Amino acid sequence: MSKFVRQHKQAWASLKKKPGFILTVLMTMGITLGALLCAVTLNYLLLVEPLPYPEQDRLFVAEHKLIGPEKETKAVAYTYPGLVHLYKSKQAFEQAAMMIYGQDVIISHSNQPLVNTTYVTPEFHQIIASPMAVGRMFEASEAIDTNNPVTMLSYNTWQQEYNGSADILDEKINLSGISYRVIGVLSEDFIEPELNGIGQETQVWLPWDYNQTGEGGRESFGNISNSLKFVGQLNKGVSQSQAQQLLTPLVSDRWQEGVVEIDFFNGWSVSMIVRPVKDVILGDSESIAVMLLAGVVGLVLIACANISNLFMSRTAEKQRQMAIQAALGATKKHLFKTMFAETTILMFMSIILALVISKVGFYIMQQYLGAVLPRVSELSLNPITFGCAVLVAITFALFFAKLSTRMINYRALNTTLQSSGKGSGLQVSKKTRQVLIASQVALATVLVFANFSLLKDAVKTINAPIGFETENISTLILNFSSTNFPTREEGIPIMAEIMEKLEALPQVESISQSRSPLDGFGVRALTSVADNKNYTPYFNNVSHTYFDMIEQPLVQGDNFTLVDRKDGTDVMIVNQAFAKQLKADGDVIGMQISTGRPDPFKIIGIVRDIAIPGDAATDHNSEALGSGVPRAYVPNGLNNQSFMIKVKPGQLVSREQLGKLLGDVDSRYAVFSFDAASDILTQRLFAEITTAVTTAILASLVFLLAGIGLYGILSYGTQLRRFELGARMAIGATRKHLVSLIIGDNTKAILVGFIGSIALFALAYIGMSEYIQPLLTWQVIPMLLVTLVLIVLVTLFACYWPLRQYINKPAIFTLRGSD
Amino acid sequence: MTEIKIEMKNIGKVFETDDIETHALKDVNIVIRAGEYVSISGPSGCGKSTLLSLLGLLDESTSGSYVIEGKDVSHLSLDEAAGIRNEKIGFVFQSFNLIDELSVFDNVALPLQYKKEIPTDEFIKERVEACLKMVEMSHRAEHKPNQLSGGQQQRIAIARALVADPAILLVDEPTGNLDSQSGDTVMAVLAELNKKGTTICMVTHDARYADMAKIQLKLLDGQIVKEERLKVAV
Ligand SMILES: Nc1ncnc2c1ncn2[C@@H]1O[C@H](COP(=O)(O)OP(=O)(O)OP(=O)(O)O)[C@@H](O)[C@H]1O
Ligand SMILES: [Mg+2]
Repeated sequence: MSKFVRQHKQAWASLKKKPGFILTVLMTMGITLGALLCAVTLNYLLLVEPLPYPEQDRLFVAEHKLIGPEKETKAVAYTYPGLVHLYKSKQAFEQAAMMIYGQDVIISHSNQPLVNTTYVTPEFHQIIASPMAVGRMFEASEAIDTNNPVTMLSYNTWQQEYNGSADILDEKINLSGISYRVIGVLSEDFIEPELNGIGQETQVWLPWDYNQTGEGGRESFGNISNSLKFVGQLNKGVSQSQAQQLLTPLVSDRWQEGVVEIDFFNGWSVSMIVRPVKDVILGDSESIAVMLLAGVVGLVLIACANISNLFMSRTAEKQRQMAIQAALGATKKHLFKTMFAETTILMFMSIILALVISKVGFYIMQQYLGAVLPRVSELSLNPITFGCAVLVAITFALFFAKLSTRMINYRALNTTLQSSGKGSGLQVSKKTRQVLIASQVALATVLVFANFSLLKDAVKTINAPIGFETENISTLILNFSSTNFPTREEGIPIMAEIMEKLEALPQVESISQSRSPLDGFGVRALTSVADNKNYTPYFNNVSHTYFDMIEQPLVQGDNFTLVDRKDGTDVMIVNQAFAKQLKADGDVIGMQISTGRPDPFKIIGIVRDIAIPGDAATDHNSEALGSGVPRAYVPNGLNNQSFMIKVKPGQLVSREQLGKLLGDVDSRYAVFSFDAASDILTQRLFAEITTAVTTAILASLVFLLAGIGLYGILSYGTQLRRFELGARMAIGATRKHLVSLIIGDNTKAILVGFIGSIALFALAYIGMSEYIQPLLTWQVIPMLLVTLVLIVLVTLFACYWPLRQYINKPAIFTLRGSD
Repeated sequence: MTEIKIEMKNIGKVFETDDIETHALKDVNIVIRAGEYVSISGPSGCGKSTLLSLLGLLDESTSGSYVIEGKDVSHLSLDEAAGIRNEKIGFVFQSFNLIDELSVFDNVALPLQYKKEIPTDEFIKERVEACLKMVEMSHRAEHKPNQLSGGQQQRIAIARALVADPAILLVDEPTGNLDSQSGDTVMAVLAELNKKGTTICMVTHDARYADMAKIQLKLLDGQIVKEERLKVAV
């Protein structure tokens, strides 16, 4: 033990003299291993770690798939009565819950905050055994059809909106005119299954009965919604496919009965998909996690090559000291132990730094990637991370020690002492150096290129023109806080008064009584009357000032008028993409389009396409993204409860101000949401922005590390050739001769590196062609060229810079070996 | 009067390190004529190596003038100095300074590669073989330097110094790293070369070898204290 301690003390004493060396190793390994620990923990969490719920492998989501006449999937979404039928039949699942995700305003709260609400049946929290901070969870008393107005709050809502009040259970909260008694608060440790998309966080839980589906909707098989969900614990011994086979006829029979009178669904069918909750939560994020891991492993390899260089130079430097030790009787094993003591100290210091960095990394991921990757809230330093850290530290310590001692030609150590040391003795063989340069170049090329490609795609999406104005425009959506909705006729004058008051605000430039395109479109089943073909374009009800406000140009025909809205005229405006779908030449003015009601709509105008990031084509046969998406618009009613507000440049309107304005007109109205269009756009682009930032950081890190590494190995190589360079200078080599000599000698290694990178690409292509195939367009050629030029520039710099200290002085300095 | 190969006038060299000024050479005057064999000797630290590096344009003097074959080389840029070294000077070092990665042939051919106009391959081959023959190393042309003995390596170094047909051969302690037998062989090679007309300037500690030169310069504290010109009958 004392020997062990002494050895490490000695090693530390010897290291301490080289603070630059320690710092370089620590920073390089600390940062890259920190990133590695982050990526490994994330991958473990997503790929291996079970969900934090009891019997999680029996938790399944049942989904309702609508299949069109050509057997193509039309949508994965429930009808309300279909879901209730499934729930009440109690087949295949031991316990199951229904839920609807929504949003609402707590109007009883002084700030009137907009919150995420989820309407659930009590089984939901029972199945996942949600831990409670206060009170109880929903029970039989909140089961379907009990109409018991109670609520559970999330821990954050309790803390943030109610200051963690101890009397929270005495509190009543009002949403949409219904007063709910708080019966419990979920624990801080509660992890909500992200069934409604990554980053889903319910703030207020409400009983199923109070969901906001209207009377008609509860009976209608014509409406589908993808915020309706079904989750449960499968019966023991029932497999996923058995459950599917059991549920499909059950659901299908009821659905066919329900749609028998709706022509649109002729030839359609439904089938049930039963999927593990884990798959639903993870989606395709596994591939993101694996790609991230691959990128980080590349970084670690580059860092590892760099540090190998450093250790080899250090061994070369220490050769005299080791020769003396050998002369005094140290065996090869002794020398290894000395080296191992040093590498152990360095690697454990690095890994401690790496753990700190990964902790910071988890925090950053939770802050910024919560909307991109699932389960990030569960990220923490766990035994797996620690185990991985220790393993990595020991492996690298062994590797570096082994590498360093392998260079030592033990038998030649004695001659080191005898010779003057000029130019002789320990050197990294030319071959080793060449291999290091080549691998460095290969890795850097692959990683920089891969990052560039991702970055380019992300930047392209971010910068893509959306085709409409968002500047200074915000959408105000009203909340109605009473259970008896006003009729259309009652609503119209109220909305008119609100419009008038809004327009009178000094900051306001103009008002349009509709939502911004970024607030979402619906999807509507439409039939062309002439040929009876079915279409499912994005659909929106808009005001006659909508297109002007967002500056979306009309390319043909007429705009809606106020009269169209007042009288509910059956007119429609379509975008160019939909016009093309309807008729090859796009000349659709005057065409009749049916929504299933007796009177069809007549197309009166065509507007230019817009591209909303994240909107995919709804027609599954076309691959068009963003811009090619078909859209149809019809006039909305004068009682519409949402407004686009365009403020004058530099002016602001606050939520509070609007709340007060609404209250003055009619106390039943409050602000549901008031969001700037540009903010929504940024949110929609969040994944791309995150990708851009991440890849930009990774690319610069890779570039930096590769640059440092190439510089290290090339400058070490040049240093070793000092006496050779001196001899050449004595013979009459000019500076040009020497620069081209060094570049020429390294060119082979660099070329081998480039060829290696192509081989790596080929391997990657064979391994994961589905990811790489879409990247292979002619556009990769300029990217590849840019990468090559960058790497070549770095290499040239790394060739010249270490050389300049020798060739810009009289030859005697180089020849003598003293500076 | 034979042609003057080298003429140094009032050469001085001062090393400045931190606060200390070392006057390594003071007011040195040297004239070397074609075909002469000059030795420079003196105690350690007297300035022998410094003088040789000035003669070989490896370093610049602090004062004085230096002319090689009628060309003033006192003030040259680094690349000009490299050009003159290549054209007019052949070096032989104590530690050989051969390049391990190159074969003996390529080592010898190296100075020709640095000429302003690179000669033809046939010329190089002829010239290198002739030089290797002069040092009696023709049979080792394809070896690598580290496969040879010290004496053999030094003879290769001499062949390399000769290959570009320099005005003068500068030799620094050629036997310093050799045993006495190999040392004698190397000295015999130099003597033979001089006999055939090569001008040589050699630094040596060894009085025995210094005596082989016709002109013997003695240095003390950076100054030439004694110049002996032996009249040797040919
Ligand atoms: N780069 C330098 N910086 C400072 N002083 C130097 C430098 N090179 C040589 N000197 C000094 O110049 C003087 C002459 O050195 P030089 O190497 O020419 O001696 P030498 O005669 O070759 O000695 P030796 O026989 O030991 O090789 C010495 O006093 C030495 O300390
Ligand atoms: Mg000397």
